[in-house]
Amino acid sequence: MKGFSVILRREVFGLFISPATYVAAFYFLTLLGLGFRFFLESFARTDWLLPPLASLVVALIFGSPALIPFLTMRSMAEERRLGTLETLLVAPISVTAVVAGKWFASYIYFILVCLSALGFPCLAVWLFPEETLNLRLLEPAQLIGGGIYLLAAGSAFTAIGIFASSVTRNQMVAGMLSFTLLTLHLALMAYFHGEMPTDTMGLAPASALRDSLGSLTTGLDRLEHFVVGIIDIATLLHYLVTTFLFLGFTILATARLND
Amino acid sequence: MSEERQVSKNVIEVTDLSKAYGRVKALSGLTFSVAKGEIVGFLGPNGAGKSTTMRILCGMTGADSGEAQVCGVDLAEEEGEVRKHIGYLPENNPLPEDLRVSEYLKFRGRLKGLSGGRLRERLEATLNLCDLRRSASERLIGNLSKGYRQRVGIAEALLDEPKLLILDEPTIGLDPRQTGIIRKLLDRLRGETSFLLSSHVLSEVEASCDRMLILNRGRIVAEGTLQELQAEYLDNTVFEVVAGGERSVIEKIAKDIDPLCELIDENPTTATGRKRFSFCTPQGESSAESILKEFVNQSVTQTREFNIARPDLESIFLKATKRSWEQTDSFRENLREVSATLQPDEEDEEGAR
Repeated sequence: MKGFSVILRREVFGLFISPATYVAAFYFLTLLGLGFRFFLESFARTDWLLPPLASLVVALIFGSPALIPFLTMRSMAEERRLGTLETLLVAPISVTAVVAGKWFASYIYFILVCLSALGFPCLAVWLFPEETLNLRLLEPAQLIGGGIYLLAAGSAFTAIGIFASSVTRNQMVAGMLSFTLLTLHLALMAYFHGEMPTDTMGLAPASALRDSLGSLTTGLDRLEHFVVGIIDIATLLHYLVTTFLFLGFTILATARLND
Repeated sequence: MSEERQVSKNVIEVTDLSKAYGRVKALSGLTFSVAKGEIVGFLGPNGAGKSTTMRILCGMTGADSGEAQVCGVDLAEEEGEVRKHIGYLPENNPLPEDLRVSEYLKFRGRLKGLSGGRLRERLEATLNLCDLRRSASERLIGNLSKGYRQRVGIAEALLDEPKLLILDEPTIGLDPRQTGIIRKLLDRLRGETSFLLSSHVLSEVEASCDRMLILNRGRIVAEGTLQELQAEYLDNTVFEVVAGGERSVIEKIAKDIDPLCELIDENPTTATGRKRFSFCTPQGESSAESILKEFVNQSVTQTREFNIARPDLESIFLKATKRSWEQTDSFRENLREVSATLQPDEEDEEGAR
């Protein structure tokens, strides 16, 4: 895919010189760090069944609507507003390379934020080795499982963000659309979390919906598997399909601009 | 064989190109060619189809029908391939505000497949050619003046030494000095690179282009060099005389030499109190010169100034577009008349039924 690496380099550079991404990452990580600290302090008093590290993964997933829009809203919308997308498409590269380069840059930034968040359990183990001994914060199976879930969900979430950015010229509108889509997805996951009673008449349709939408609605249940080190291939496939689907929509929306 | 040579000589070959946006026809049966090294002016009123043609030639959008070859690449078969051979400066020249000129040109160079020493060499060459090296190469694009931004756009288009450069309004919004710089730039590349230059500044097209194409309502309405267009669209030679003699005397002298010569205007000049007489003749410049000689010989005319008005591109442009409108309007009128004559027959038939 000719031009992909050039677009990627330019986009990563753009993200790293943009104050908005730093501000977003700083506040996101600060809140995440504080939340994780209080969670560890009160862990013994909660009825949380999963390992403590899972709370960090859940926080990263449910906090992503506050981060992803900042990473993606600028990428296509700003190019459309300035008209530079037109000149970009006159270069001998494909629309796919442009969209893939922009998406991958946002994805890299998301992974960097997740890796930075991994610093919190490391810091806790380093500063309080005795207190955190029983919490098993750096258990490899949990780290790998949680990491894979974050990688999969992050790719789909950033693809949704890129798509939102491609349908408008206004960064703010793109950001809000991205926030709405991600929040809606997470709200569905939260609503359908756990065993749904099927014997009640009123909740039967909800149960049917839950079964038919697969990982879209059962993502949170699958997350519980991942954070204990059980890899669910169907969930990975679901996020992969979502990523390709939204990147495909973005390519179509961008190519349509020429007609 | 000669046909093959003709194909390789022309960088653009467009035959019967049509494009519609819904029910609006942007191009209908457009046919033209641009030879290697030629600078061609692409003129037309707003909505004539210039930008659509340029976008098709750049491979950004497809045509509905017809054939187009750019640098030997058939656009119907390899739409994306053409982008390797052309440079394009779109109208308004959109540029990223947050990059420095050198950063932007490096980025665009890499997109065009340049790297390493070749990229550095081309960067150096285009910065020098567009006079950006000392003054602007390390400045943020967002802080540049309009003239510099246009030069950055042209430098970008020239980076990979394209065979064809398509410039959409390259001097729009520039002051005369900056326009002069762009014109010099075109002169430097004359003969090496082919240009298709769209502009509303007719004086600039007149000064820079070897040939003009005038487009109206999606079709070429006039084509040729300035001299050819002048010969085709402006049959009469117009000349002016500043003289102190009586109008009747002046007119009689002119008519004696050239009976077809007509006095078309008479205005008093402010400073001298003499009058400026405007004549037109279908007999050409030689007749106008004979009349001048007679005016100078006869002291009663008190001739002080004389000049033959050279018809400019603006007059040709207005005349060519007006003619095409008249033709289209008369065609529509005829069509309306035909349909009006047909309608009663249809009504009769319906009545008979």
